[in-house]
Amino acid sequence: MIAGITGLGRFGGFLATLVVASVTHRPPIRSTFEEAYRIGVRSLPILLTISVFVGTNLSVQGYNAFAPLGGQRLIGMFVALAGVRELAPIMVAAMVAAKAGTEMASQIAVMRIRQQIDALEVMSINPHWYLVTPRLFGIVLVLPALTVLSVFALVTASWLVAIFQLGLNGQQFIEYASSTTRLVDLWYCMVKAFAFGITICVVSCYYGFQSSPGPSGVGSATNAAVVSSAVACAVSNYLLSRVLYG
Amino acid sequence: MSSGGVIAGIGRFGIFAGHVVWRSLTPPWELHEFSRHLWQVTTRCVLPVCATVAPLGMVMALQGLKIFELFGAQQLLSSLVSVAVFRELSPVLASVLVAAQGGSSFAAELGAMRIKEELDATEVMAVDSLRIHVVPRFLAAVVATPLLNLAGSLAGIAGGWLSAVVFEGESSGQFLSNLWRLTQPIDLVGGTIKTLVFGALVGLISCYQGFHATGGAAGVGKAVNDTVVYAATTFIVANYFLTSALFGAIGG
Amino acid sequence: MVESPPIIRIDHLSKRFGSLVVLDDVSFDIPTGRTTVLLGPSGTGKSVLLKNIVGLIQPDAGHIWVDGVDITTASERKKAELRKLFGMLFQDGALFDNLTAGENVAFPLKFHTRLGERERRQKALEALAMVELPDVFDRPTSALSGGQRKRVGLARAIVLEPKVVLFDEPNSGLDPITSDTIDELIVHMKAKLGITFLVITHDIVQALHIADQIGMLYKGRLVEYGTTEAFLRTRQQIVRDFMQRNATLPPPDGPLIPIP
Repeated sequence: MIAGITGLGRFGGFLATLVVASVTHRPPIRSTFEEAYRIGVRSLPILLTISVFVGTNLSVQGYNAFAPLGGQRLIGMFVALAGVRELAPIMVAAMVAAKAGTEMASQIAVMRIRQQIDALEVMSINPHWYLVTPRLFGIVLVLPALTVLSVFALVTASWLVAIFQLGLNGQQFIEYASSTTRLVDLWYCMVKAFAFGITICVVSCYYGFQSSPGPSGVGSATNAAVVSSAVACAVSNYLLSRVLYG
Repeated sequence: MSSGGVIAGIGRFGIFAGHVVWRSLTPPWELHEFSRHLWQVTTRCVLPVCATVAPLGMVMALQGLKIFELFGAQQLLSSLVSVAVFRELSPVLASVLVAAQGGSSFAAELGAMRIKEELDATEVMAVDSLRIHVVPRFLAAVVATPLLNLAGSLAGIAGGWLSAVVFEGESSGQFLSNLWRLTQPIDLVGGTIKTLVFGALVGLISCYQGFHATGGAAGVGKAVNDTVVYAATTFIVANYFLTSALFGAIGG
Repeated sequence: MVESPPIIRIDHLSKRFGSLVVLDDVSFDIPTGRTTVLLGPSGTGKSVLLKNIVGLIQPDAGHIWVDGVDITTASERKKAELRKLFGMLFQDGALFDNLTAGENVAFPLKFHTRLGERERRQKALEALAMVELPDVFDRPTSALSGGQRKRVGLARAIVLEPKVVLFDEPNSGLDPITSDTIDELIVHMKAKLGITFLVITHDIVQALHIADQIGMLYKGRLVEYGTTEAFLRTRQQIVRDFMQRNATLPPPDGPLIPIP
């Protein structure tokens, strides 16, 4: 319990240092774009793969759920609502936490144990600004875009499954899908992605900075980073859904 | 990576998996190690699993309610939540969290042992390192994932109830009485089968990554990273086929 | 001869981690323009002292005056300013893995000077020449040997022309021959740059080779401190024990016997 409170305190301290470092230094424009490119390009193939399979699954499950009620034609609506509002943002966040977030945690942890962070401080270069700010700006820049791409991959895949595996009417699917989702849903989806991006980056970098020495220290920092950011994203997803759609 | 590299990688993984599964099915078993890992994985994962599935159950209820209100079919809400939680949400999320928490710590432990030459030392002492270090972890993942799935399912339903009844003011009696309307035993069995498969995948992928870690502390970080990414991707792909096979027949 | 004021003054410094007392009321001056070596067995607070001096660790009590300013009470901004007086060689070099050797050396120039790309390269090459590694600029850090890593780290430490260079165990992890060449390098650079060096080490041979001043830390206390000549005549039992265990044997009478 006490450990939890001191942990929260340390996290708050980290957050404050980061905010101060980010606003008092000039923005690292070039490295921000480098990070954005790295996060975006590296995560894209895996995100598209996952989006496709979540989409196919959504069709099959939606069909199973609605068939007893005679609502097969509603499947387009179900896929669009579930996919755009909930699944795509949280799934993209989970995968980016697993891929880019763990990478941030382990890179920073390795730098910590090899004294590179101390070296930055001795060279009068703020390590929070140099290491975290570009990653933060980069992920915030790229995550909404990744989420929108994932929405399209997901809906397309479920549309194909609806037609070819379930033998439904593709035209009807699109009509129902487009009548229930509006442009604002896509905006909300990007708002979620924005919030998840900040959460993942701050949590992962925090664990990287807190890492204890040795190879197992890097391992456990990486581990803690992905679990904590997944939980934090799931909880904030509910809160955001409540505020945006409730 | 070239496609040749990918195929060679899959081949190496297949051989490793074969070795591990064969040793898991034949004695002697390291029962003490197995129970230690089982206890560790279960206790370390139960909170993250529940803390992730519960908010998603809450979101399910929140969003589902809006859809059903369009048709005046709110009484079906809990049926939908329970089907979704038992069939999909909990099995997939519980497994992803087992990969993120348990699998990644397997990879980190084995990776650190590899870097510190402990695994080589084991082999030099003519002890089968797969049998004593890998098999207990693999079996622990296989057993723990279905158990954690049960905990996650309950947390998801509880989250749905919390959201629908406490926050949105639906009737608690209606929620509970309709809970099992669409959920059948096959859903529980299906979820368990899924999580057995996912648990085996987590065990194999994480141990493979840790066992083959190279390049110091950074290598351990990479092993952990790859474990989570590969495991989560494999689940979601496997999940589609498992869902089609297990539940596809019901509706169609 | 009139002494210039000490560049670093350590004043009743104490630091503990939990119940472990790492530094216990340590006071001494580091004279300007000399090489000061702090000796001591592992785990006696040498590295902690170094980190206190550059403000990476906050002491529990006491003060450290760097060029007349107290770094222990300085704001972060002031600390960053003071750190520009220092160059530091870390134990394993602490080179950034994603940069080449030369980019590592040019790294501080990018942030603290207005030099262009080509001038930075020129400066970095000069610093690398100073550590006798003229042709490693484009080499990735992973392709450097342990001794080369330290030299590149040293080049990075001196590239901003600091007033003080700090060395954290410059010989750790090196074989005896590489260690000797690092010692030579330190002596040469000292002669060329004429700035203050502070070296912490547990290697008594190295200490005697490079030091103008030697101090010894033992269990968190400074048990002896003075010029090298004075240090060798110490009457502290613990210092004599430490030196005898580590020092080379006196040269034998007559030539060495060849191995058959």
